[in-house]
Formats: sequence, C-alpha cells, structure tokens
Amino acid sequence: MISVKNLKKSFGDLEVLKDINVEIKPKEVVVVIGPSGSGKSTFLRCLNLIESITGGSVEIEGKDITAKKTDINKLRAEVGMVFQQFNLFPHKTVIENITLPMMTVRKWKKEAAIQKAKELLDKVGLKEKADVYPDSLSGGQKQRVAIARALGMEPKVMLFDEPTSALDPEMVGEVLEVMKQLALEGMTMVVVTHEMGFAREVGDRVLFMDEGYIVEENEPQALFGNPQHERTQAFLSKVL
Amino acid sequence: MIDFRFEIIIEYLPFFMKGMLWTIMMSLIGVLMGTILGFFIALGKMLPSKLLRLPFIWYINFFRGTPLLVQLFLFHFAVLPAILDSVNPIVSVVVTLSLNSAAYVAEIFRAGIQSIDRGQAEAAHSLGMNKIQVMRYVILPQAFRRMIPPLGNEFIVLLKDSSLGAIIAAPELLYWGRAATGQYYRVWEPYLTVALIYLILTLTLTYLLNYVERRFATT
Ligand SMILES: Nc1ncnc2c1ncn2[C@@H]1O[C@H](COP(=O)(O)OP(=O)(O)OP(=O)(O)O)[C@@H](O)[C@H]1O
Ligand SMILES: [Mg+2]
Repeated sequence: MISVKNLKKSFGDLEVLKDINVEIKPKEVVVVIGPSGSGKSTFLRCLNLIESITGGSVEIEGKDITAKKTDINKLRAEVGMVFQQFNLFPHKTVIENITLPMMTVRKWKKEAAIQKAKELLDKVGLKEKADVYPDSLSGGQKQRVAIARALGMEPKVMLFDEPTSALDPEMVGEVLEVMKQLALEGMTMVVVTHEMGFAREVGDRVLFMDEGYIVEENEPQALFGNPQHERTQAFLSKVL
Repeated sequence: MIDFRFEIIIEYLPFFMKGMLWTIMMSLIGVLMGTILGFFIALGKMLPSKLLRLPFIWYINFFRGTPLLVQLFLFHFAVLPAILDSVNPIVSVVVTLSLNSAAYVAEIFRAGIQSIDRGQAEAAHSLGMNKIQVMRYVILPQAFRRMIPPLGNEFIVLLKDSSLGAIIAAPELLYWGRAATGQYYRVWEPYLTVALIYLILTLTLTYLLNYVERRFATT
C-alpha cells in the first residue's frame, strides 16, 4: 500500500528525516511514537506532500508520489490527514467544512455532497451539529468533524498527527473511539500518538522514531513489553 | 467672523453638491480599482522567486514613497498625455488614486492573507484543493474580514486625497471651494463649508463601515 524507501527530508541544513524505510500493508494500522523533534510529524507530512521530499522515494499503491507526472492534488485527496489543531475552516459551518472539498475537489453535486456529509456526521456522532460553526464545538467534536471531512474525500489512507494531544482528557476517548471504528472497517492508518493504550489495542505495528530514523519496529505487545534498543527502552520508561 | 457671508455659500451650494458627487465618484472608483489591482500586486509580492517579486516591491515603494501630488502631476502632464489623445483632469485623478491606493491595498491584502493561520492552507491542501481553491474558499474569506477596518481607513484617506484634484482643475469639491474664494476673496465661507462637507462624508463612511464590520463579525 505505502512503500517508503530511504526517505530523507532536510530543512536547510537541518536533516530531520535521515533514512526512513517502511512498508505499510493495506488495512494495517501503524502507530508512530518517539520523542519530540524526532521527525514524526515531518514523516507524515511527507506522505501527502505537505512537505517536499529531499531524497528517497515514497510509493502509494505502486505510484511514486514524487514523480513529476504525479497529480499532487489528486494524491492528497487520496491520503487523508488529521491534524493536532483540527484546522477546521472557521468561516464555514460544520457541514460546509465537509462539503467544500467534496464539491471543489471531487466535483460532487451539492445535494449529493450534503447527503454524504450527513452520513459522515452521523458516523462520527455529530448529526445534530451540521449547521453550527466550529467555534461552538468542543475540541473533541472539532476533531471528529475534521475526521469526517477527511473521510469525505474517500481516502485510501488516513494519517493522524497527534489527533488527541490538544484535547482535554475527557474528550480523548470519543476521538479514539471514532478512530477505532475506522480501523475496524479496514481503513489503512498511520497514527502519531502518545496514547499507548490505543497503540496496544488498535495498532498492528508500532514504529519508534528517534533523530530521523526508525530505530525499532514491532507488534505493540513485543515493542512495549520487550523493547530491544536502549533508546526505545529509555523513551518507554518515561512515557509508560 | 462677524460678517460671515452666508449668501456666498448659498450661491455656490449647487456647485459644492456637484463637486461632492465627483469627489464621491472618483474615490469610489479609486478604491474599487485599487482593491482589484492591489490584490494582484499583493499576490505578486508573495511570489516565491525574489526576482519576480521585485517589480511589485518597487511598485509599492514608488507609490507609497513619493508625494501623491507629484504622482498626480506625473500622470496628468506626462504619462497620460503620452497614452491618450486628450487629457481630462478627472481621468488623471481617478488613475492616480487607483494606482496609489493599489499600493496601500496590496499591503493590506498581504497582511490579511499572512495573518491567517498556516494550518488553514495546510488542511485545505491536504484535502486536495489546489492553490486557487485554497485562496478563494479558505484564505480570502477569512482574510477579508480582517481587512475591512484597514480598507475602510484607506477609503477615508482616499476621499480626502481626491481633493488634490483641485490643483489640476478637476471639478471636485475643493475645486469649487477654491473657485468661490477666487471670486469673492473670502477664505472662511468656502473652505469651512467644504471642510464640513468632507467631514460629513467621512463620518457617514465611518458609520457605514462600522455597520459592515459588525455584520461580518456576527456571521
Ligand atoms: N518547516 C520547518 N522548518 C524548519 N524546521 C522544521 C520545520 N518543521 C519541523 N522542523 C524541525 O524538524 C524537527 C522535527 O520536527 P517534527 O515536527 O517532525 O517532530 P515531531 O517528532 O513531530 O515532534 P513533536 O512530538 O514535538 O510533534 C524539529 O527539530 C523541528 O524543529
Ligand atoms: Mg509533531
């Protein structure tokens, strides 16, 4: 599904991703953990080209996303992204947030888009919030709308960058629940998170990143229970 | 002040009214053209290439950095005569005001666009929207709300600046004030009246803008 080979990314002189190699299978849920500044966000952002790639290759469904002939906008529509800060459009109502990209990018007719958006809102448990503005939502509700908005593009992969880190503790659960549901439905997901419970329960595989490398990867039980690398051990002893 | 001659004002009132209409017209066209032009200059100034940005930067430098009166002379006596068969002072004022306000509006646009959180554009791009769609549906509507107060300010400045047209005999408000002064050798009656009309215009505009601002703030 996603094949990352020798991925490198620098900002000027600062090399943030040094040599990332990973294969992600269809329907797999991959959890990425690691200390602050290790390059987790940058890695996700490279996967849908919000950041340009400095070296190496990323293939999604066999297509090299850095090839010149790749339609970047089409690729991005197929790779959904959910941000820590939600990034809902404040001047649009909840349902307009979802229908706007459907109509502009996927060229859905308005009625069809509204219909589909309502189904998505129902799915994330926010049917009754369709016509309010994001300002009046709680953090957890905003993030669920953001997930619904990304799903509106019918993506093949969903990337989550610390989707619950900006939330009050009592709202983390409702967002994780939606993500868990998505995973059960077979969505391929890459999730950067500090929620180790989620990683254990939903993750098929955990990647531990440090200083621009994937230092260790394994099934959750193995990685959490029996980390091989010193740096993984040090990191886990701090967060678990 | 004891012998304030109201009859001068009465006599000239029709001309003042006509002049006021020209003042409003010229400023309105100036601000409209300035906004359209200013938008593209702002985009030009945000181009990724330094070389391509340069002409836009210097456009802004020139129009903000030299006196409006000099610009008006330049266009009225040199640039426009070279392009047009006959030069009309009103056209000169409108052209100069448009180009001048474009420089200021460009900076207002740029500040407005850059004040929008980067996450907005990132989210929109991540959904597959192209640059034009991101600008049109996500950035500009939000930026525009923040631009209303400075744009209104620019409009008010423009309204007063249009009075420079009097010097090249554009028949706007101040022109008729000067005409009355010339005829009667009286300073206070015409100029105070003209000043009062400008004040009424700018105050009306201020209230109008406050209303627009409130309307936008609540949606
Ligand atoms: N646009 C940028 N320009 C320059 N440096 C950047 C940029 N984005 C990220 N960096 C740097 O790259 C490094 C990795 O950042 P990244 O956001 O990927 O880390 P992270 O693992 O997501 O950290 P966190 O857990 O704090 O979110 C950091 O040192 C950061 O300062
Ligand atoms: Mg991060």
